[in-house]
Amino acid sequence: MTHNGLRFQVASKWQDSFRRFNQREPGISGLIAFSQAWDTATEFLKPRNINEPLPPREYTEAVRAALDVIHKSRRLPTLIETFLSQVESQFYLIQQEIDQFMIDYALDLDVCVISTMILRIHEWMKQWTPATELGSAFQTVYINFFQTHLFSILPDSFSSAFQDFVASTLPPEEEGEAQKQDPQIWFTFDALGLNDRFDSLIASVGYEHIERHVLETCTGQWGEPMLTPTRDWMTTKIVPWMLYVYGRNARTAEEARAILAGVGSRFDFHMAKTLCDLRTREIFDIIIDFPDSTGALQDLKECLQRVDQRAALVQSLRQAHRKRLLHPGADTKLILSQYVATIKCLRIIDPPGVLLFKVADPIRRYLRDRPDTIRSIVANLVGDDDSGDALVDETEPPRPLQAADIEDYSDPNWEPEPIDAGPDFRANKPSDIISTLVSIYDSKDFFVKELQVLLAQRLLAAGDDQSDKVEKERRNIEILKIRFGEAALQVCEVMLKDMTDSKRIDQHIQSQQASVIHPAIISKHFWPALESSEIVMPGQLKELQDQYMAEFTKFKPDKKLRWLTHLGTVNVELELEDRVIEALVSPLEAAVIELFSEQSEWTLDGISKRLGLPQPNILSKAISTWLDLGVLAPAGEGVYRVLEVSADQGAEAKDHVSRPATTVEVEMPPVVSVQQQQAEQMRVYWKFIEGMLTNLGALPLDRIQTMLKFAPGYDRTITQLAGFMEAARREDLVTVRDGMWKLNK
Amino acid sequence: MKVKIKQWNAVAQWRWDTGNKDAADDEEGDVCGICRVPFEGCCPSCKVPGDDCPLIWGECSHVFHMHCLLKWIGTAASKQQCPMDRRPWATAERRVDANAPPTT
Repeated sequence: MTHNGLRFQVASKWQDSFRRFNQREPGISGLIAFSQAWDTATEFLKPRNINEPLPPREYTEAVRAALDVIHKSRRLPTLIETFLSQVESQFYLIQQEIDQFMIDYALDLDVCVISTMILRIHEWMKQWTPATELGSAFQTVYINFFQTHLFSILPDSFSSAFQDFVASTLPPEEEGEAQKQDPQIWFTFDALGLNDRFDSLIASVGYEHIERHVLETCTGQWGEPMLTPTRDWMTTKIVPWMLYVYGRNARTAEEARAILAGVGSRFDFHMAKTLCDLRTREIFDIIIDFPDSTGALQDLKECLQRVDQRAALVQSLRQAHRKRLLHPGADTKLILSQYVATIKCLRIIDPPGVLLFKVADPIRRYLRDRPDTIRSIVANLVGDDDSGDALVDETEPPRPLQAADIEDYSDPNWEPEPIDAGPDFRANKPSDIISTLVSIYDSKDFFVKELQVLLAQRLLAAGDDQSDKVEKERRNIEILKIRFGEAALQVCEVMLKDMTDSKRIDQHIQSQQASVIHPAIISKHFWPALESSEIVMPGQLKELQDQYMAEFTKFKPDKKLRWLTHLGTVNVELELEDRVIEALVSPLEAAVIELFSEQSEWTLDGISKRLGLPQPNILSKAISTWLDLGVLAPAGEGVYRVLEVSADQGAEAKDHVSRPATTVEVEMPPVVSVQQQQAEQMRVYWKFIEGMLTNLGALPLDRIQTMLKFAPGYDRTITQLAGFMEAARREDLVTVRDGMWKLNK
Repeated sequence: MKVKIKQWNAVAQWRWDTGNKDAADDEEGDVCGICRVPFEGCCPSCKVPGDDCPLIWGECSHVFHMHCLLKWIGTAASKQQCPMDRRPWATAERRVDANAPPTT
């Protein structure tokens, strides 16, 4: 049954097909006609070798009729399949040519070979294209087939060659050289489907070109913003190129713009990213160059808005700081000025200060650990900097120090912290540079103390032209008062007043009895601790002092003077047998030479006994000054003698000419530094500690601290106390066991 | 050799001549019995030491910052007495005699 059914089925199908091919023609004439039509059609479509001379393919009536027949027999799909397999079998022709072209290209790397090759492939493609009359479906199938096949036979080397070719189509950097573009080639690419397939490749060529241009033109160019010129360059050079590549199908400018918008913004992003990366790498040097590098900062600001590279910037800058700034080799002044520049720069880039906060933190921590930071800042504040580049802008009006205040949530203009702000970030930090610097430390008292020390040094070092200098200092102090507050600088005020008072007193006394001594009379408790000395002045120096003191007591009957003999300067003139020497020396040096005028030979011991000087090392320094000047000469162990006649006449004479008025470098007055002062004050508290340890036995550190807080004026932290106790332990005054401190008996 | 001093820029500290011989050598100096600030400093209501914040000598040989003492005398509780020895306060002519016993 099944068997029969199947046979019947096949028979009816056969009849059907036969009838269709035969077209109801008598006999098999229809079949023969179809066979002829098939031959005509396949012959017409057959892909031919274009290298052989061939008659042009003509879409004749016969072909049309043949196709008609095939169509009627519903054999068109089969025809297409047959055609495609023919194309496939002919593809070796194209492959041969491509291989030849690639070999040629490998030889001399001439991109023209590539363009010729592509045109040639296109030629093949056109040649084989079925006539349009066959319908678009036929063509589409053919094009897809051709492209797929083409891609499969393209060698690996083609992509790099193609890349080179695309690169060659880019407008050259030099003006005028602009190679005449052939837009045709891009249409060819399109026809071959190369554009879609190598889209990322083409884009990467564009990216690389932009990258190269940015690196070439922008590296090290920080003076002007480079973003706008680069964008201009993109408009004049890259956009026309993009028009060929991407916008060739656009008919109107509007359409072109729409097509280019997406791809253009991709290119623009890439440009911004390249520039941003470049500036991020250069940021440290940009900051060094500030304010000559404002342009670069503007660029960076704009780029950062486009590209999210903020984290990278912070990372890069922190790393640069660690590597180039925060190490023992860098001067504190340098670190400070770089810090200030960083503040200024990052404020341009990121006004809310999030970046600054992240970058500044390591610098601030590092500065806090440096012992001379305060001194450097203060020196800079009072304009004691020789380098000339003050941290503070002179034009910036001084403002009171701002304390970082707590956020005011009731403020109607309150804004949340920026999204990438760290946990400790404060939006309303002091914006003033000095406030920022001072806020490195917890208290501004350190600054005021250091300021006092510095002022003392400067005032006491002031020579004859005192009034000018005092005026300058007064101006400084007035400015600083605005910053630190009137009360904090009261002490400095008194110091300045002492200087002017001294001058007035001196004028009065000089009018009574002229004297060569002009003392600065200072108020003890308002000056930093000055090292005391017990030098007893000899001879005429003593007389000068006594005379002046007598006059002073007459003028101010209820006051006395106490000389600080180691401070100040003396201008002496030595008359020797063959020469006169003038020198500006310290009082101690003057005292030494005065002794030699009494008696021409002295021993070191003799001098130190006479001057009441316990430390001979200071003395030997004073003597060496005179040895250098050729006034004294050693005469045996620890014995010195005056050279009445110069040791070397000739040399001395020459020397004399070259140095008519010899000046000895005057050192800064030995003002006790803040640290020393603190140690000194701590000694006072030692008495308390000693007492409590005697009475109470062993005590833990925090207990000592608590009890010391009752002592008047005690303001040390427990850390400072620990340091002090440790020092006491080293001196074997106390012992510690399990955190309990005990007197060592 | 002859040494000629042409100019000497010296430095000196001033201090009150309280007539206290011992105190002259004492590093710390004396403090005002009322405000406990050294005489060479200034009383709590002053900012500038020296002539602007002078001392006052009592017949009783006690010395104070003038401002401190006047303030004290101005209060009813003082009964016009020296705060140190409760003797009626009498300002000395200029200062105590140099030979007077030490004061504190």
